Amino acid sequence: MRITPATADQILQAIQHTRANTTIVNVWATWCQPCVEEFPDIMKVYEKYKGQGVRVVFISADFENPPHDAEAFLKKQGVDFVTFLKSGKDMAFINTLDPNWSGALPATWIYNAQGQKQHFWEGKVSLEQFEKTVRETLGKRDS
Amino acid sequence: MKRYKWALGFMAIALILGIGFMQGNKAEAGDGLKLGSKAPMADVKMTATDGKTYTITSVKGKHGTLVIFSCNACPWVKNWEDRISEIGNAYQEKGVGVIVINANDPSRVPEDSYDEMVKRAKDKGFAFPYVVDETSDIAREFGATRTPEVFLFDAEGSLVYHGAIDDNAADAKAVEAHYLKEALNAIVAGKPVPMAETKALGCTVKLRRSDS
Repeated sequence: MRITPATADQILQAIQHTRANTTIVNVWATWCQPCVEEFPDIMKVYEKYKGQGVRVVFISADFENPPHDAEAFLKKQGVDFVTFLKSGKDMAFINTLDPNWSGALPATWIYNAQGQKQHFWEGKVSLEQFEKTVRETLGKRDS
Repeated sequence: MKRYKWALGFMAIALILGIGFMQGNKAEAGDGLKLGSKAPMADVKMTATDGKTYTITSVKGKHGTLVIFSCNACPWVKNWEDRISEIGNAYQEKGVGVIVINANDPSRVPEDSYDEMVKRAKDKGFAFPYVVDETSDIAREFGATRTPEVFLFDAEGSLVYHGAIDDNAADAKAVEAHYLKEALNAIVAGKPVPMAETKALGCTVKLRRSDS
């Protein structure tokens, strides 16, 4: 498990290179309580749908570098793929990822197979909302 | 019957236009107050850590008013807190009214309780009111989404700066752009604010439920 410092441009490139059917992009931090609360739900959706091409791009906004607390948290959550540590100035980072984002955490985007943004949430999202949106982006109807 | 339908249609259009007009100066959900706007709910009384009540209007200075949505618990606030204290105290002396508002629900974040605010204001030497937005409605009306989030109004009461304190929450010594100080210096000098809107990462405002 690695956590790699990355600018917003590098993260956008990584999103385009996931070659996933649906990509969940989540900016979080260990000391952001709603981030920590929703994190297991993102992992549940990932585990349930990864076989159908769902990928997750986690970006930690922790101040600490190297981010020991973030690494320990990711390990505890069972994250076994590459994740990122926000690098660079806040304003450029926020506006590059999404001009509609105020900068509040957590922030989550859903990208489709064509690498286009489909949904954006600022603040904590429920498991039901995550799953519903991922299913819609995968082209499924609610059963 | 036809006339009745026309009347109903007219009333519906009037209602839609009326609602639109009423919301003209109000921020959209998740969208901050627009530049040039006046401070909403400026005459609502809020209790400060000194036990007195203040309104945004009551703290107004000759050069303008600095409103910061903040709290105790957010790590970004903690990183910026000494700078909030230093800037608030210094510019209050220079004729800018200062008020720091905590709109967080303490039932969701116990560290954001009034008693903890009293301790924090004392520890950090706030010479300005640190007040409670008891319903979180002031934060809603401002469209404040994160802590800390700054709204600076000029002497005429118009919003001239919205955003971050500076460009480096993690390290005060590494700040390159002092956004808020530059905006404050501009309004004290009666000049235009050089950068009117900035962004920084921050905690979400933990609003009280509007139905509680």
